Amino acid sequence: MSLASDIELRSGRRAWLSEQSGAIGLAGIVIIFWIVFASWAPGFVSPFNLFAISRTLAIDIVIGFSTMVVLATGGMNLAIGAIGVCSVMLAGYLMQKLGVPYPLALTVALLLGALLGWANGVAIVRSGVNSFIITLASASLYTGGMLILSKAVIYNALPPAIAAFGRMRFGFVSPLLIVALAIGAALVVLFRFTALGREILAAGANARAAQLSGVPVSRAIIVAHTLSGLLAAAAGLMLLSRLGAAMPSIGEDWLLPSFLAPVLGGALLSGGSISVVGAMIGALLVTTIRSGLLIMQVGNFWLLLFLGMMLLLAVLLDRYRTVYAERRSLGRRA
Amino acid sequence: MKRSAGRALLRALPALAAVVALSVGAAEASNNKIALIPGGPHPYFAPWEQAAADAKKDFNIAAVDFKVPTEWKLNLQTELIESLLTQGYNGFGIFPGDAVGINTTIEELASNNAPALALAGCAQDPTKAAFCLGTDVYNSAYLGTKALIKAMGGKGKIVHLAGLLVDPNTKLRMDAVEKAVKETGGAVTLIQHITDTDAQEAADQKINALLGAQKDQIDGLIATAYIPSVVAAKSLRNLGDKRIKLVGIDDDKIVLDAIKDGFAAGTMAQNPYGQGYIGAYVLDLLASGICKVRADAPFIKTPQTARFIDSGTLLISTDNIGSYKDDLKKITNDIRSSIKSKYLDCK
Amino acid sequence: MLAVAIAIGFVILSLLSPAFLTEYNLYVMLRSFCVVLVVAFAQMLTLAVGQLNLAIGALGGLVAIAVGGMMEKLGFPISAAVGLGLLIGLGGGLANGLLTVRTGINGFIITLATASVFTGINLGVTESIPFYNLPGPFVAFGVGRFFAVPYLLIPPVLAALLLALFLARTAPGRYLLAVGGNAHAAELSGIPRDRIIVLAHALSGLLAAIGAILAEAQLGSAQPTIGADWLVMSFAAPIIGGAALTGGHISVAATALAVVLVVLIQNGMVLAKVDPYWVQFLLGALILAAVGLNRLRAVRVEAA
Repeated sequence: MSLASDIELRSGRRAWLSEQSGAIGLAGIVIIFWIVFASWAPGFVSPFNLFAISRTLAIDIVIGFSTMVVLATGGMNLAIGAIGVCSVMLAGYLMQKLGVPYPLALTVALLLGALLGWANGVAIVRSGVNSFIITLASASLYTGGMLILSKAVIYNALPPAIAAFGRMRFGFVSPLLIVALAIGAALVVLFRFTALGREILAAGANARAAQLSGVPVSRAIIVAHTLSGLLAAAAGLMLLSRLGAAMPSIGEDWLLPSFLAPVLGGALLSGGSISVVGAMIGALLVTTIRSGLLIMQVGNFWLLLFLGMMLLLAVLLDRYRTVYAERRSLGRRA
Repeated sequence: MKRSAGRALLRALPALAAVVALSVGAAEASNNKIALIPGGPHPYFAPWEQAAADAKKDFNIAAVDFKVPTEWKLNLQTELIESLLTQGYNGFGIFPGDAVGINTTIEELASNNAPALALAGCAQDPTKAAFCLGTDVYNSAYLGTKALIKAMGGKGKIVHLAGLLVDPNTKLRMDAVEKAVKETGGAVTLIQHITDTDAQEAADQKINALLGAQKDQIDGLIATAYIPSVVAAKSLRNLGDKRIKLVGIDDDKIVLDAIKDGFAAGTMAQNPYGQGYIGAYVLDLLASGICKVRADAPFIKTPQTARFIDSGTLLISTDNIGSYKDDLKKITNDIRSSIKSKYLDCK
Repeated sequence: MLAVAIAIGFVILSLLSPAFLTEYNLYVMLRSFCVVLVVAFAQMLTLAVGQLNLAIGALGGLVAIAVGGMMEKLGFPISAAVGLGLLIGLGGGLANGLLTVRTGINGFIITLATASVFTGINLGVTESIPFYNLPGPFVAFGVGRFFAVPYLLIPPVLAALLLALFLARTAPGRYLLAVGGNAHAAELSGIPRDRIIVLAHALSGLLAAIGAILAEAQLGSAQPTIGADWLVMSFAAPIIGGAALTGGHISVAATALAVVLVVLIQNGMVLAKVDPYWVQFLLGALILAAVGLNRLRAVRVEAA
């Protein structure tokens, strides 16, 4: 926590540097894992495995972003899975039942995501109820609405272009990862260079202070939730292209991974501090460990145990690196 | 239905041909690596481990391994499959974590010359899985409901306890139950479907709430998923109620005991061992390129797929509770010995 | 307050379904409160000090199979198995707390990682196959009742009373609330902040263990999946009951009422024969309505 207040005190540029140094440190740990896995598990760096990693990673990154933009305001969005699946099912319905061309269908689905996120934001701001509760209930509402309307029917006769995109390879990278990186770049611009992005962060760091200094806090919260909905829809549509079918079970298991990436990347649950690059590297760390352990053939049922231990090891390494760096810089200042 | 299946088969042919072209004439001792992959950790699949070991020994295969995704999530299953492919496995027996969602992964396996079978549960057509060897979920639910109706003397009110609503198989089971009920011409009515009883605690809560409020109006329970079968059997025992008839699914010890003691009328057995054992046998033949699936094979057509082989469904009741394992073994051996000539085209 | 919403629900349900007020149905409902109640308390304690515990369900699953295994495979007497199970819970919670405090890493990450560790051990040991042959008296406790009151309800009620006393009447309890309210101020006034956070995690683990053992008795078998779906509920109840995610404000009574409300809604939907496709939707709408009602009252009280 002291680190957080520290960051707030520093000027923008130094905060940015320190944020990036966190990301660089995390990247160092990822590199260590890559070296270990590549030398111990020969299949790890095979083109197919790299392709598989890039595809999984792409979706995890965008799911992480969806939670991250809300974490920036100090709120939570438990409805991202629900929003994702609503968008996917709408896209499936439009393309398969109504024959809507896919660019239009995907756009409408993204808009639905944004709309559902906007509704969350408005409900939170108007009622003053904690975002945790609102989104917990709205997750149930959205999923329920989707089930009522779709009767849990699957759409799997979609335009072939959708699934083709998910299968496509640029060397050993999936185009989905490029989409994820592009979204990341857009978010960096938003939070680094626009007034809106800074307002969202200010509202999260200290809502009262932000309000007093003229930041429209309510608007910032609504924008963040709208954005979160949009990103959840984007993640859902990426998964749609990966699976080639719109299924009502999409999004059920997004909750924990969505928090893992941004928080590993240095976002504070209390709001005001996020790192776009950090979240991407956080997602990379988790994907790397999971893939590496699978390739190394760690015992069937024991895999989860090793996953947990590796994760602990990674965060401990990161922590000691930070502490060490802080001590050194303190020493220099003194 | 027929047309789409035909198309799928046509699309599968080049892949199979490629398999044949690539690995010519594997001898008796094959160097194939076969993986059997359930949807997640679940006691139903425990017999696959033995089946894998037996198949490796009996058919002289380099490796037959039982690989379990850490959690019951589609993305973890596909990650595991991708990773196994990287490690050189070239035959995959898969219980689809999701009947539709698994298809892109199976397609990918096909494009890497690794044949896949859907085991225990089917992948939804169009699919590149060579065929599906499993329990016909629609038929099993239908037969189970028929058995229940018979146990109730042909009339009364029943409730259907089902699994996850978002699982496409659940919809099939609901339809099957409704069909069996409809066939009684009004003598039997379906009070409601209770879904999402796949988690132990949710099942306990929902089923007990049901029994608490309506046990006097209910004459029969049909459970079409593993967990609600267990929970319903146990709840009826706790109630000491032998009036309400129950037909469950699978041979969990709690359900079998309930049948012995009269708290359940029966349960629909599946054949997990046979699915794993026969699956590994066929995958070895396909992966070696010795055989391919016959286009005109006498597959059964189900609402999910046009290429289905029944691995055996039978009703366990007090009559056959001692002998059903032998019956299943016999079914397994029958299918195994006839599958090559019936469904495969071998060199 | 929440009590109003509960009373309304109660009346509606008894009008809707004549079977609602039968002794057996009341027993069934009371029985389904037990586990959720303890699990909600477990999360409430970590929320009180401004922490999250994502490992509650995983730890619960581990305790459940440990207790089951000790009774079935090792032949331990019930008391010893339960005692050791509670110790495992306490130990797991302690580990969460110590890791969080000593490393200074966010408790969210620590408990997410330890959750994976706990579940990993659980699956590694059981290979997902449950322990079925639990001793008779243990299972009998799970189904026993005194008229409409299940024996299973005794431990959660005792836990609630002890917890309320602990928070209101003892120094560590009051410190716990103080740390959550304002960690900095608490530290300045000499409260050992780190030790209190460890205490909250340890107690949270202990309560998770109690929940697991109750679930095991209720189900009559030690299922590796016990705890798998505790997470959202464990947060929902304390937060609907008014706890803030940032710590401080918690109330044993309000959390208990929230549990009653949510379980009532879930049971009510089974009784009312709600179309399965509508269950999810109505659950969300009703929670929202209940919270809205609560909020409205709070605003009116503030205005007055």
